[in-house]
Amino acid sequence: MTVVIKIEALNKAYKNHQVLNNLHWEINQGDIVGLLGKNGAGKSTLLKGLLNLCDIDGGTITLFGEDHLNLSAQTKGLIGYVPQENDEISWLSVSDLIKFRKQFYTTWCDEKVHQLVKRWNIDLTKKIAELSPGQVQRVLIILALASKPALIIFDEPAAALDPEGRRDFLKEIIALASEEHITIIFSTHITSDLERVANKVAILEQGHICYFDDLDTTKENVVQLVISHKIDEKITVPYVLRSKQHPKYLQCVVSQLDPNWLSTMKNQGVEIHVTPMGLEDIFLELTA
Amino acid sequence: MDQFTISPSSGVPIYKQLFSQIERMILNGYFVPDDILPSVRQVAADLEVNPMTVSKAYGLLEERGYLTRLRGKGMIVAKRDDEVSAREKLTTLSRTIENLIADAHLMGVSQQQLLTLFKQQITASSREIANNDNKE
Repeated sequence: MTVVIKIEALNKAYKNHQVLNNLHWEINQGDIVGLLGKNGAGKSTLLKGLLNLCDIDGGTITLFGEDHLNLSAQTKGLIGYVPQENDEISWLSVSDLIKFRKQFYTTWCDEKVHQLVKRWNIDLTKKIAELSPGQVQRVLIILALASKPALIIFDEPAAALDPEGRRDFLKEIIALASEEHITIIFSTHITSDLERVANKVAILEQGHICYFDDLDTTKENVVQLVISHKIDEKITVPYVLRSKQHPKYLQCVVSQLDPNWLSTMKNQGVEIHVTPMGLEDIFLELTA
Repeated sequence: MDQFTISPSSGVPIYKQLFSQIERMILNGYFVPDDILPSVRQVAADLEVNPMTVSKAYGLLEERGYLTRLRGKGMIVAKRDDEVSAREKLTTLSRTIENLIADAHLMGVSQQQLLTLFKQQITASSREIANNDNKE
């Protein structure tokens, strides 16, 4: 398993606020990672810091084994990035911007650009400043995908897109995922998009990655339990996140389902009903 | 190709949903031995999900003996032992029954009431099946 991104002890503060605090994170080739976090948690800061688009206060970051401050030109060519805001030159026309960007890459797929421009009805003659926010986002996505990157980082890529645009964007990601070994990170609030496309989910909270696991495993672990038991019986639930006692049963949410505990309970005649949860609810439980 | 449906925001992982669906389709004869399943890429594109998820479902079905990989063709439905099939059908149904019993318990419906309800439904269903047979 090749490690594509390795972050150790990352620190970043803005004024007096410690945004990223001793953050550790490791991403393998082929991972499609969804990054979740509350507003202001520092997702953009983390992604920008990773790409050296903003300074970090401490820690080490390596991309494809190279120090992120000293990436070779070849490695830089492997990385695509779609920011949340448009930092692109607004006074250039779309076609000129594409021509401009193309110069920096050794691999560039004109057909891909053409295909997406056509599909998304982008007027190549318009200046970036004249496009709607949705169209701008689409152009940014095209620019990132055109160079056939091995690592793509999206910062809230679908924020400005309407549902149809989002679906289209997801289709592109899925097509990318079909191609071998590409690594994708995207931060988003739209958990259903993540649920379709990501195989790993990470949660940024209190300045560090407080949770990072396989998405399927997460859905199998973070579950709701309804435990029916006799009123005087005291039941201890391992890995409990929160619980509420009702007259006839105990309702709780756990971060992990212990199979040994489960079978012990069953042997004691305690009835346990397991209800899985969607990612949005899981996120709320883990960050409560 | 609209055979499969999944719910991305369900608490049940997508690969499990697909696995259960295809398992059922094989057990009730919708897919028969030697049928070729659509490719991972095709299903992923149609359902708009990560192809790794589809691969996982197919892999699990292969592990459980439902599918066989055929070079150049993809995944085909495997021939199964009739006895094994019968057992699997009962296992699948008992999972459904387990959920039903749990739901009834949560609602405060007694097991006696549940049993009565079940018998009523079976009688009603057989009457309906008999009526439909007579119409044909």
